[in-house]
Amino acid sequence: MAGKKKKTGSMVVLIIVALYLLIPLVLTFLYSLFTEWISILPNGFTLNAYVELFQDSYFWQSIVRTLLISILPIAICTLVVLLAMYVVVVYVPALDKVMKMICTIPYAIQGVILPISVLGLYAGAPEPFSNRVFMLVCTYCIVVLPYVYQGVRNNLDAVSAPRLLEAAQMLGAGKFYAFWRIILPNITNGIMVSVMLAMSIVFGDFVIINTLAGNYFPTGQMYLYSAMRQSGQKASAVIVILFIITLAISLVGFGLQKSKKRR
Amino acid sequence: MSYIEFQNINKFYGKNQVLKDISLNIEKGQFVTLLGPSGCGKSTLLRCLSGLEEISSGRIIMDGKDITNLEPKDRNIGMVFQHYSLFPNMTVEENIAFGLKMQKKSKEEIKAKVDSAIQIVELEGKEKAYPENLSGGQQQRVALARSIVQQPKVLLLDEPLSAIDAKLRKSLQNSIKQIHKDLGLTCIFVTHDQDEAMVMSDTIHLFHEGRIEQSSDPITMYTSPVSQFAAAFIGNYNILSREQFTSVTGKKIASENGIAIRPETIQIVTDPSEETDYTFDGVIIDNTPKGNVLQYNINVNGVKMKVDVLFRSKVLFENGQKLRLSVADHNCIRI
Repeated sequence: MAGKKKKTGSMVVLIIVALYLLIPLVLTFLYSLFTEWISILPNGFTLNAYVELFQDSYFWQSIVRTLLISILPIAICTLVVLLAMYVVVVYVPALDKVMKMICTIPYAIQGVILPISVLGLYAGAPEPFSNRVFMLVCTYCIVVLPYVYQGVRNNLDAVSAPRLLEAAQMLGAGKFYAFWRIILPNITNGIMVSVMLAMSIVFGDFVIINTLAGNYFPTGQMYLYSAMRQSGQKASAVIVILFIITLAISLVGFGLQKSKKRR
Repeated sequence: MSYIEFQNINKFYGKNQVLKDISLNIEKGQFVTLLGPSGCGKSTLLRCLSGLEEISSGRIIMDGKDITNLEPKDRNIGMVFQHYSLFPNMTVEENIAFGLKMQKKSKEEIKAKVDSAIQIVELEGKEKAYPENLSGGQQQRVALARSIVQQPKVLLLDEPLSAIDAKLRKSLQNSIKQIHKDLGLTCIFVTHDQDEAMVMSDTIHLFHEGRIEQSSDPITMYTSPVSQFAAAFIGNYNILSREQFTSVTGKKIASENGIAIRPETIQIVTDPSEETDYTFDGVIIDNTPKGNVLQYNINVNGVKMKVDVLFRSKVLFENGQKLRLSVADHNCIRI
């Protein structure tokens, strides 16, 4: 009886949360489908906003740029953090505190300060440092660093990495082989979660990219910004498409996790 | 020359010296236990032999070869850890096969050896299971199989049973003993549990503050402790200073650091013919049942003494009851 009550309670909470999250999305989607919606009910139905977007190569280029600028810095950052953590876990555990301190500094930097500082420092520097895309990738590496580091760190702790490394060494594995063959597969799922989180942050960024790259490198967010000034329906359609893309990326990510677990 | 020789091993962590000039020989095929309280250096010595810790000075010789500076993977030593340390992303058979793959054995050989190891640790039917789906005892069996399948020169067991419940521990103790006997392995076992050390070992090395306090077979260790620490740690002895001994028995005794008397060697006298070298009176303070033994705490002239008797019936004597006690001189160990 008590179990049934608890189950019903959980369902109610779940439904409320789902509604809270889905209602804005559903309304945005509905808004993107109608010609005008200024009274209680909309005047008419149209797919014009989507047709226009699908025919606009500029839109798709901006989406590709968004994907590129989301994936590249995170991939670089994850690789660098993993290599650093390999050195810390295997050779100098004492450096862990320093790593933690360095990697959490970006939390303290306000959104707009970072790109302005980067621009001020590197705008006049020789290539490739003054290249806007280069600056953007490096800046995003800094932005996602705390999330990636924390994900890697927590998962290394969760699998008791030093113990597993010792066990692998006793079975004849070298340190590097043990880290990549034993530790890495066991923390991949956790890293994927922090990568998703980092990706959502980069995907939704407007301030940094607008300050650093501006029209040099227009992304989906900047396209959305200009669409908002043209038409509410078109902007809503852009939001829906961006959401579907992030959803697809998340599903692929979680699908990869599940297949890894099965193996 | 012994199979394993620790020669003047010292180990420092910063300024803290955890191993103090340890010299120790272990013969091939022996089951040796390093026993001692937490922080005494027993696990550190084991890890130095495995290569997971470097020693600050000294030499380790195994099978006639100096292995002091060899990497763990080059020592051919197997190790079972307290927390199993199984690889979570691998099945039971993959875990067991890992070391053999590192040795680049053929697939057929790996399969045969893994099957044999699974049989030895009685885990048939669990080959495809992941560690998370096994009980603690089963996980430790996998860890054991993973180590023995490589046919190591020495098998190190670092408190492998301390995370396992009492009943299962007994069964695993038997399994480990049987495997040691069947495979003729040289085993070095670390524990802080003196009962476990007694059950498992050919030889016990008792550690205290980075030094070996006493090395002997279990019976000698139990009956003839060489120091106050050994007496207190191993046998739950009554340890009396010379003055306390005189106060209890009314007689003087020659001893440097006191006298140790095992609780079970003190006899409760019911007939004057049972009286031996030292006879004295005491009053029961309380009693503690310890399985098949009942331990009385007895006040003898202001000195608290433990006396063990077999728990044959309910409570034999009442609290507050006066008793006559007797102990033979050869049971009063000078320490």
